[in-house]
Amino acid sequence: MSLGTLRATRLVRALVLLTFAGCAGSPSERGPVTLVFKYARILGNADPLPSLLREFEAQHPGVRVKGEALPWASDDQHQFYVINLEGRSPGFDVMMLDCIWVPEFARAGWLLDLTPHLQPAELAPFFPSAVAAATYDHRIWALPWNMNVGLLYYRTDLLAKHGLAPPETYEALVEQVRLIRARERDPALDGYLWQGKQYEGLVVNVLEALWANGARLITDDGDAFPEPARAADALRFLRGLITTGVSPAWTTAADEELSRRAFGDGHAIFLRNWPYARDLFEAEGSAVRGKVAFTTLPGRARGEPGAGSTGGAHLGVSRRSRHPALAVALARHLTSERAQRAIALGAALSPTRQALYHDEELVRRNPAMPRLHALSLAGRPRPVTPYYLLVSATVQPEFSAALVGVKVPERAIEDTRVRLGHFLGALR
Amino acid sequence: MTRREAADRRQGMLLLAPTAVALGALTVYPAAWVLWLSLQHRVPIFGVSRFAGLDNFAFLTIDARFWSAAHTTAVFTVASVALEVVLGVAAALAINAQRRGRAVALSFLLLAWAMPAVVAAKLFEWLYHPVAGLINVALGRHALNWLGDPGIALAAVTLADVWRTMPFVAILCYARLLAIPADLYEAAQVDGAGRLATLTRITLPLLGRILLLAVLFRTLDALRAFDIMFVLTGGGPANTTETLTVYAYRALFQTLQLGFGSALSVVVFVLVMGVAWAYLRILRTGSVAA
Repeated sequence: MSLGTLRATRLVRALVLLTFAGCAGSPSERGPVTLVFKYARILGNADPLPSLLREFEAQHPGVRVKGEALPWASDDQHQFYVINLEGRSPGFDVMMLDCIWVPEFARAGWLLDLTPHLQPAELAPFFPSAVAAATYDHRIWALPWNMNVGLLYYRTDLLAKHGLAPPETYEALVEQVRLIRARERDPALDGYLWQGKQYEGLVVNVLEALWANGARLITDDGDAFPEPARAADALRFLRGLITTGVSPAWTTAADEELSRRAFGDGHAIFLRNWPYARDLFEAEGSAVRGKVAFTTLPGRARGEPGAGSTGGAHLGVSRRSRHPALAVALARHLTSERAQRAIALGAALSPTRQALYHDEELVRRNPAMPRLHALSLAGRPRPVTPYYLLVSATVQPEFSAALVGVKVPERAIEDTRVRLGHFLGALR
Repeated sequence: MTRREAADRRQGMLLLAPTAVALGALTVYPAAWVLWLSLQHRVPIFGVSRFAGLDNFAFLTIDARFWSAAHTTAVFTVASVALEVVLGVAAALAINAQRRGRAVALSFLLLAWAMPAVVAAKLFEWLYHPVAGLINVALGRHALNWLGDPGIALAAVTLADVWRTMPFVAILCYARLLAIPADLYEAAQVDGAGRLATLTRITLPLLGRILLLAVLFRTLDALRAFDIMFVLTGGGPANTTETLTVYAYRALFQTLQLGFGSALSVVVFVLVMGVAWAYLRILRTGSVAA
């Protein structure tokens, strides 16, 4: 090799090194960086998200954030993520996740481990159950963004008229339904509405009934129904609500909206639903405006105190994001106290930061915030497992069969155990 | 083979090539891949990938959910196709007998058929609404739990499907009716055939072949029925409206069990192919008059 070519090679090498060194530096110094944020649009004209994204851009010159809409239904969102994340070309950096997907996506290796990016006490202000849902294998994979918890809504006017306090047990609830309906003599007035259609909402409702009766769906080791007798009793109780007419026959086809509308039209005394329903009940023109309050879901007379199932959305960062540090910063910005306040004010989604439930501005807008705080704090997450969707898809038809009376509860429980054992076994 | 024949053959091959390549890439290759997947335990997101032999199919033979889905698919197919044929023929005869307003009647029929299945399903979701639905309001005190009662949910779903697809049968039959020469009917009249005899001896036999074709298309569609039950009931209550394709969808796209889901798809594929083959045989043997 001549001296000339050697020199030329060195020059090229140096140039190459320089180029890569430039890449390794802060990306924001190298022209525009685009972060893509996938989320489900918030309906209505008060969507606070666009202005929050512009705010982040202002704080990070040279960074552009593109908010991209997810499909509307939760199932479709999951499918979208699976196809795009498995296909190795995600095309997005920050993603809104239903909290039940976090362990699954973490285990699949699609999420950036956020643990090293977090300050030691950074998650302390969040609800512990929300943090638990973002934790898999002792590491944090997502930041809790908004909170959901199952609530018992009741008609304050009807309970007051008949001198009743909100029920603490399901047995008391049944008694109150009987009493009020006997005295009101209104055939169009239903007792207790909840969600019994064969879908994810049914799993949530049954879980709450199981917990109230001291039973679990699945242990950490993946054993289904460790307390089979109590679980069967809980299912039998739910079925009984329908056969005795405490809940209408159409409960077996009811989802959140179906039950929410019937209650909102003034056709029921009690309703199990999420916090979003409150805003609709209190909206102008609502038939039950000023006549509705919520409390914790009942427990069972000889069981445990009631607790609502928690849910909500988390923000995760794609492991193949080309700008992980910026993506984490965006997730942090969107889950900050300021952002969550703006979202709670604009879109009425409940925050995951506990302090906001006592925030003056938010309490003025919704005086029930402190009460919601206590109930969210007492809420329990659905089983935190990477196999949650498989578990849910397996139990849905069995729970539905027990509810409509096609199977006795013991049979439904036994069939679930066999199926889950088979499918989970194939995953190990 | 003469030189001319050889050249013809070469040209034929050349003209066939694009179709063969397209079919190979879009149908044969994916089908072979699904068959291969069905012989494996494959859950990519959890890194599960191992050969399973016939395990997936063996599990299907004892899988109560599979047999329930197969049963539902069979009942749905027979009931919906039978209703569609009866109502479709009746509608075609009615339109044919109409003196005025044929175009309007046809466009109403087409409207229902042109509607995407999901939209039709949403429409029926409101019609079947337990409290505020038109049907239950009309039934008053005899209101039914359309989508929540395991005894009637499948019937409700079937009716919704019949409403949407009956026009397909009706329009095919109507087109055939227009092509029946008028002198056939005149001759029948001269011979003293009554209306019933004309219908059973002339009209229906002449409809036979087109009806068989309509039934073939509808049967294949019904065997793969998915959207109407997916939107209306999600397969519930108690899986009474879960068809084989809904079950396959859940396994493939929700719980991501690609191997097991592929095994289900293979079963649906074999079923559809078998039925298509049987129908085509009947069509080819010409046992039905044209």
